[in-house]
Amino acid sequence: MAKTILIVDDSASLRQVVAIALRGGGYDVIEAFDGVDGLSKLNGQKIHLIISDVNMPNMDGITFVKAVKQNAAYKFTPIIMLTTESQEGKKMEGQAAGAKAWVVKPFKPEQMLAAVSKLVLP
Amino acid sequence: MDMTPALQIFIAEAHELLEQMEQSLLLLEHRPGDRELLDAVFRTAHTIKGSAGMFGFNTIVAHTHQLENLLDRVRAGEVALTPALSALLLRCGDHIGTLVMPAVDNLSLEASVIAVGESLERELAQYLPAPPAADRHSMAADLATFLDGGPPSGEPPPVAHPASASMADDYAVFLDSAEPALSQPAAMVWRIALQFGPDVFRNGMDPLSILHYLATLGELVNITTLWGRLPPLAEMDPESCYLDMVVELDTMVERSVIDSVFDFIREDCQIRLTPPSSQVQAQLADLDALAAGPAKLGEILVAANALTGAALATALAKQAAESQPPVRPGGPRPLGQILVDAGAVPEPVVDAALARQQQTRQMNGQDTKLIRVDAEKLDQLITLVGELVIAGSGTFALAQQAKLGNIMESAAALLRLVEQVRDNALGLRMVPIAATFQRFQRVVRDVSLELGKDIELVIAGAETELDKSVVERIGDPLMHLVRNAMDHGIENAERRMASGKSARAKISLNAYHDSGSIVIEVSDDGGGLPLEKIRNKAIERGLLAASANPTPQEIQQLVFEAGFSTADAVSNLSGRGVGMDVVRRSIETLRGMIEIDSTEGLGTLVRIRLPLTLAIIDGFMVGLGTARYVLPLDVVVECMELSDLDRHSVSERGFINVRGAVLPVVRLRDAFALSDPDEPESSRTQGEIANGRENIVVVRFGGLKAGLVVDELFGEFQTVIKPLGKLFSYLQGISGSTILGSGEVALILDVPGLIKRVERTRPQGCVVA
Repeated sequence: MAKTILIVDDSASLRQVVAIALRGGGYDVIEAFDGVDGLSKLNGQKIHLIISDVNMPNMDGITFVKAVKQNAAYKFTPIIMLTTESQEGKKMEGQAAGAKAWVVKPFKPEQMLAAVSKLVLP
Repeated sequence: MDMTPALQIFIAEAHELLEQMEQSLLLLEHRPGDRELLDAVFRTAHTIKGSAGMFGFNTIVAHTHQLENLLDRVRAGEVALTPALSALLLRCGDHIGTLVMPAVDNLSLEASVIAVGESLERELAQYLPAPPAADRHSMAADLATFLDGGPPSGEPPPVAHPASASMADDYAVFLDSAEPALSQPAAMVWRIALQFGPDVFRNGMDPLSILHYLATLGELVNITTLWGRLPPLAEMDPESCYLDMVVELDTMVERSVIDSVFDFIREDCQIRLTPPSSQVQAQLADLDALAAGPAKLGEILVAANALTGAALATALAKQAAESQPPVRPGGPRPLGQILVDAGAVPEPVVDAALARQQQTRQMNGQDTKLIRVDAEKLDQLITLVGELVIAGSGTFALAQQAKLGNIMESAAALLRLVEQVRDNALGLRMVPIAATFQRFQRVVRDVSLELGKDIELVIAGAETELDKSVVERIGDPLMHLVRNAMDHGIENAERRMASGKSARAKISLNAYHDSGSIVIEVSDDGGGLPLEKIRNKAIERGLLAASANPTPQEIQQLVFEAGFSTADAVSNLSGRGVGMDVVRRSIETLRGMIEIDSTEGLGTLVRIRLPLTLAIIDGFMVGLGTARYVLPLDVVVECMELSDLDRHSVSERGFINVRGAVLPVVRLRDAFALSDPDEPESSRTQGEIANGRENIVVVRFGGLKAGLVVDELFGEFQTVIKPLGKLFSYLQGISGSTILGSGEVALILDVPGLIKRVERTRPQGCVVA
């Protein structure tokens, strides 16, 4: 069965780019538009990987990652943080919060796919 | 991947965000200082920039970046949001709106729009500080606190288990290949030693995924699991990782690619890579294949892949040391002897290379006579030869169809001659790099006077030939590199004397052929790259994670990053890195690669690797229905008929059993969505079914094998590559086209792309040991 990936980002076009790339790579994709929405999408279902932006309205990525890590059901779920080149500090905050992987924006769909496949198989 | 739906969303989203930004700005006029509104404005700009970056809309990114910087300052309270500024921000939003559609449609901007953008950016710049010094300091402070109180580094805890001693020995045998040592020739595989930290599972990292990902790069020959750190069962923490692994990977990819596999676990993990060395047989074969090439023994060995340039340098340094007092009894050893004694090159290889050297010397003794030819005429000739190749293939194909034995024979003879003409014609375009190199004598002389430094230029390998069009375009990047070396690489005389170097500095230009490519090196004996400064700079620029633990090699490569060469870098970094990204880009447009190898205090070497590009390849033609496709012949391993049994296997499982091994297979018909293969009766004519058993072409690329199911095999075919138009540049699985003798167009298959696709859809089918 295909693995499920949750992408949390406030930009619909970015979510779409990631979703197209990941579906092409044989993954199932669930989208969420901010941290709060992301947490609600987690509810009970098996998620194999989470991709999260940093700067989002309502709940930012760092808070979201911390919340995910506190949920016993998802504490082993790998998390990829989407950062921009100017957000080096945020990337480290994310790593401290538990998101050990990262992809720097802008990225090519193939780069995202490569990063994902280092963490979960399709 | 078709990104059109995403583009549509981008247009709608950009306009929505701009509207939001406008509303928030207008609201801010009534509620000045409202933090949430300010954050919202900042976020809209940030999101637009991020999404535009994804699609490569640089005009939008550049403008939004300025806007974002300014908004950041407003947020930090460094700039007050005056009515004038607010109006400016609104106009910027309008301007971004006008940039969206031209960017999506890939149109160039009207002059008036560009003018508006420039004037807006000038206005924005007034609110921005010239050098972002303050930002830098606060960031550095952040970094320092992070490093002090941050998580423990990837160092493994000391292990007290009895078995760990033998494990430490296992690791001890891995060479640290970062230093240019004389390496022993060994197996053809990379050895990768992995010591996973206890936290890998808790961090969401699965060592199995890493292994699977490694398997996509090549063949996992062997995996040894070491459990020396495993505690007694009672003390074991089920959430911790205690395993170490030694993986042997047979792959053609480069070190940096293998290294990047471990990006996410580098913090938790100790990783050691040991590269493969070439085998004696392969080196001897390479020596045989060398045309009259380099004249020096070391260069011959390097060209035959028997020795790395770095190892040669080490050996030469050793030889030089032996000629210095105290002179070694019996004088300095010959280079070959040093290499054999150090075990760097086996004796038979050195002997073969010496024989080759003798041969080359004799050939160089003969006079060369030259004729000057207009370059235009040469290009015309190449074009004509291309056409001749196509026409020749057409004639041969016709003769085959007519089944006239004697005409086929004469056509085949003709074709052989045409092939020779082709090779010779392409050879005509090859010119020695000498003229380009010589230009630098003058440059070095003039600039060294200007700088007040005493610099000598040493040229080697000037007779190395490369394509004329490449020679014409390599001059500027080389000029950049040489000037960089003189300006920033070479220290002044006092510093040189103080560090025990001769006052006279040396810059070397070197060129040689190396396994199908041409290598050009620019080296100096100056101060080398200041690693620590580059590292700090890169962290500050966001090119490197502060927690990352890059090798010196990786740090050095950072100077080629685009974000690296800014005005700021000049003062901070003794200038090196200025415009290096420009150099890299021009090398990459020549389909080449560039790398830097520097030792602090001893000098820097920049190595450029360029392909011997040819416009004509040997192809293998296959047919699908009425369409023809061409595969590059060098990726084709074998062809076979698809039996009825296998036909089932292909459609059900996507792989077949070939002599006991799994071969993932893709139907080209499905891959290109041609016609339905399950209903041959309706879609194919009676004649086709009668003789129409399908065939499999087995192709290989980068250690992976896959089968392509096609209808017909037509065999070898001379192919003149015509690139696809811009419109088709996103097509997957197709790398170009060619015109057949009959005037029909055949598409050239992109085998690496196809294999990647096979692999992606059926991960179990690939070569996991």
